[in-house]
Amino acid sequence: MQHAEPETIDAEVVIVGAGPAGLACALRLAGQVERHNREGRLPAIDPDGIFVLEKAAELGMHTLSGAVMDPRGLAELVPDFLAEGAPVECAVSSDSLYFLTAGGAYRLPHIPAQLNNQGHYLISLGRLVQWLGGKAESAGVSLFTATPASRLLIEDGRVAGVVTADQGLDRDGKPQANYQPGYVLRAKVTVLAEGARGALAKCLVNDFALDAQSNPQAYALGLKEVWEIPAGRVAAGTVWHSFGYPLAADMQGGGWMYAISEQRVSVGLVAGLHYADSGFQPHAALQRYKQHPLISTLLDGGKLLQYGAKTLAKGGYWSLPQLYAPGALLVGDAAGFLDGMRLKGVHMALKSGMLAADATYRALCAGDAMDDALAGYSTDFEASWMKQDLWRARNFHQIFQRGWLRGLVPGALDMLGARIGRERLPSRPAHDCMRPREQRPVDGGASEGRTRHDRLASVYHSATRHREDQPVHLRVHDAATCARCNRELGSPCQNFCPAGVYEWAAADQAGETGSLRVNAANCLHCKACDILDPYQNITWTPPEGGGGPRYEGM
Amino acid sequence: MKIAVCIKQVASTNGPLQLDVGAGWLREADTAFETNAADSHALEAGLAIRDRLGGEVLVVSLGPDRVTAVLRDALAKGAERAIHVVREDAHKLDPAQVAEALAAVLREEGCELILCGLQSDDVGHGQTGALLAECLGWPLVGIVAALEVETPHKVRARRELEAGWSQWVELPPPCVLTIQSGINKPRYAGMKGMLAAKKKPITRVEPQFAGGMRNQQVIEQIYFPHRAKQTRLLEGAPADAAAQLVALLNLRGVQ
Amino acid sequence: MSDMHGTLVIVERAAEGVSRHSLEVVAFAQALGDPVRVLFPGIPDQSTADLLQAMHVEALLTCPELEPCDVYDDDAYVEAIVRCIASLNPLHVLLPHSYTARDHAPRLAARLKVTLVSDCIAIEHDEKGFFYTRQLFQGRTHARVRVAGEGPVLVTLQAGIGRAESVARGAVAAPLTPCAIELVARAARVSAEAPFRESARNVDLTRARILVAVGRGIKSAENIALAQRLADLLGAELAASRAVCDEGWLPIERQVGSSGQTVAPALYIALGISGAVQHLVGMKGADTIVAINKDASAPIFDVADYAIVGDLFEVVPALIQALENT
Repeated sequence: MQHAEPETIDAEVVIVGAGPAGLACALRLAGQVERHNREGRLPAIDPDGIFVLEKAAELGMHTLSGAVMDPRGLAELVPDFLAEGAPVECAVSSDSLYFLTAGGAYRLPHIPAQLNNQGHYLISLGRLVQWLGGKAESAGVSLFTATPASRLLIEDGRVAGVVTADQGLDRDGKPQANYQPGYVLRAKVTVLAEGARGALAKCLVNDFALDAQSNPQAYALGLKEVWEIPAGRVAAGTVWHSFGYPLAADMQGGGWMYAISEQRVSVGLVAGLHYADSGFQPHAALQRYKQHPLISTLLDGGKLLQYGAKTLAKGGYWSLPQLYAPGALLVGDAAGFLDGMRLKGVHMALKSGMLAADATYRALCAGDAMDDALAGYSTDFEASWMKQDLWRARNFHQIFQRGWLRGLVPGALDMLGARIGRERLPSRPAHDCMRPREQRPVDGGASEGRTRHDRLASVYHSATRHREDQPVHLRVHDAATCARCNRELGSPCQNFCPAGVYEWAAADQAGETGSLRVNAANCLHCKACDILDPYQNITWTPPEGGGGPRYEGM
Repeated sequence: MKIAVCIKQVASTNGPLQLDVGAGWLREADTAFETNAADSHALEAGLAIRDRLGGEVLVVSLGPDRVTAVLRDALAKGAERAIHVVREDAHKLDPAQVAEALAAVLREEGCELILCGLQSDDVGHGQTGALLAECLGWPLVGIVAALEVETPHKVRARRELEAGWSQWVELPPPCVLTIQSGINKPRYAGMKGMLAAKKKPITRVEPQFAGGMRNQQVIEQIYFPHRAKQTRLLEGAPADAAAQLVALLNLRGVQ
Repeated sequence: MSDMHGTLVIVERAAEGVSRHSLEVVAFAQALGDPVRVLFPGIPDQSTADLLQAMHVEALLTCPELEPCDVYDDDAYVEAIVRCIASLNPLHVLLPHSYTARDHAPRLAARLKVTLVSDCIAIEHDEKGFFYTRQLFQGRTHARVRVAGEGPVLVTLQAGIGRAESVARGAVAAPLTPCAIELVARAARVSAEAPFRESARNVDLTRARILVAVGRGIKSAENIALAQRLADLLGAELAASRAVCDEGWLPIERQVGSSGQTVAPALYIALGISGAVQHLVGMKGADTIVAINKDASAPIFDVADYAIVGDLFEVVPALIQALENT
């Protein structure tokens, strides 16, 4: 095989990420393009020119969410989605909100309207994404799996497409016999749908100063497990949310249990990533959550099927960057459309994809005025129900920044619509919040109790896999900074990574510094390290295509 | 040269296996699938011969609808055509039936070379290539660790034997080869390949069985084996586990 | 045909006469209970004949049609053995699951129009009849297999199925009886050169008392030094799984497994080895097996006497430290 030069491929539109936002954009755009060509309009748009790039080996393998879905977004994208075979697990049958202490569970007598899930569905986002992908392909969209975009192609101050990742490099970056350089993919419009803390979206926002007027984005880390449990313990469609234990009062977040069927439940924990305690370990917190009597009575005797983790962007309305740049749009969690008050983002992702498709279509028809047409996406967003919902929740995250306890009363008031304080509350960037605290040993020991798992066992249940002999995709920029972070904060990456990627190896000899060991093969692509590293010393980049978790129906 | 490669889609095994005990098989809804590793090497061997000598690579797979994924992947890597022998419960077939169904397709194709992976990572019978050779009446070279096909008239292959021994053999096509992993580094599909694959045909056919076998094997049950051994788990931090091991085995360092 | 009877073992020729794996199959067949007949694919030399005739078997058969055997001719083998089997009418035909048998046995089965249960690890009997145990998913599960229909059942058996030393000795030497078959001579379709070995065997792993073996978990050639240090401290030899040799991190002569050496040391320490069947068959005869692996469900732990579930890059340095302090 020759060591080829990078080849160029031309497309009309490239969408980076085959999640709900990316696929909604692709599907809607395909419909518009088909109609446009059928009606003989000009300029002709290549119906085979809508490309969706997905870094996972198969659709859904990097997709993870609780999830309770408000059907509003899907119903707009695919009216009659149920009749069309959309894979919905079941309708929500009951809703409970619990306050947990170490030993107790107190069910709140009343659930705020925003958390009422009547009429909503429990879904596996992974399965939904597979279904959407099938529809998109049938509509003529070209879907490329195991194909990460590794950087933006910027020419003359405009996004002109993306460059995909190289394949077949060894760990020193040297080409092997089957080396395949990345492709230069040129497109008139590039839509970034990478999810929270997308690698290209991060660059776009920086390069074009899209967040100049925005609050810093705020993130949370969600850890999810799917369990098979004995029948008769819980009815299908049961939805529980909890706050309090195991998160300390100055932390934000909570847990969930969704009964997808009588014998299969989704459980997990969401921890806001703006906490002060550098010793906090989200994975360990999940184990404590599972051992709480409320949850353990469900899980005891059951079997862990899958484990996974992903970050979500929850800063809300004031954290949204400008949604467009010359030649590019941001959709879904890559922009940050999650409704933090209602704990829902799928409907937002789908709707944002549709709005982006509309704007993209107009841009493709607009010739030189393309970038003005792209700006119309933002206008459309502001006029949509997305904005109404996000406006209502615009200060919700900020109210809880200092923890669930302090946020309870103002948060409840906020939910009731009482406007307190300023119109727009500020937020702090995640990496700026950590302070040295009591260091606990990293949870790497053997399991106790049948619902506990150590981190390696959990990672095994994510089926994550990377080809070993490739460059390390987690770029640690400066070893001296690592050493400093270790002295000051105890290398919190060892603690917050849900996959145990990072380990500080103490020096062999006294007087020398230790080093950070990076077990990149374990990486779940959650992006927590990119977000939370106190010195922003780690940059997550996409590894060779196809690598990463292999979730099935998460 | 006209080359056929037989490819199997197997369950990925780097995560937990979910068994459907009653059905004697996996719970497919909870299983991820991929191309059998040895078959990827067989495909690469076929593509490399085609690159060198010209001709065509045809890929064939037997199985339910989901196997189109491995056929598409093979087309994206450069195979010209694909044939999908459609069978829902293919995992229940006896090895002889699998070979018969593949032979029925390949007999019509006029190939000169048929490449199979050495064995599958799921059931691992390792018989398909040899049985195929018998069905077609062709010579077989099994467990090929190196392959030289300089002209379409002669195949030179190094077969692996026990304990690190090898043997070079030569034979004229048509013939069947079963390919050992590690013989090459399979190429990546790449975007251009994936684009081209969209235009390449996957022909669906029904399996045809010659019949006439006197008996057949059936998997009655699959289960996680009970450990015959009493494995002693040494727990705790690495230093503790190491200390326990040294004590239990009475290990001494030799300096 | 219900006058099928007994177990026919087809042994494999080897430098030492008959392969060790074949002897394991004979021992296994004897333990199975049915009368055992052994077929030697050719004419055994004197020492091999003595070895065969010392066995406790119902009959010993030879196949003169397969001489001379210095040229590799699998077509002749298949033709001849098929006729032998047909003339002997056994219930079970057992072969070792060797490299050569993997080519020959399916062809034998196809000619006889019967099924082949390959790489079998147990043959048992219950009220429904015989059942066969095979490993699926690279050793992570077992399958219970039954054969429905008529005709002999062909089985290839995994290495270690029996103990070669346990072949029961007969009181009286059975005579060597040639099978009465006739073969039509024809040209071999495959022409073969002499077998050879890649590297001079500088290392005989079969003689080492202690082996430290590395698998994919060692991750790179540089990290081998860690395992080497442990081996040096223990006075052990270094060994490897196939994956490590395929990557070129250790020479092929250090490979343990079905395509490498079969070893039975006093102590075998497996570092970062998952325990795929191909490796296990090469080392499961060790007296004591210690496995260190991150993955608690790795099949290596099924054969391990002592298990440490952890990162070898933490455990091995700790072991080295502990040994340096002894």
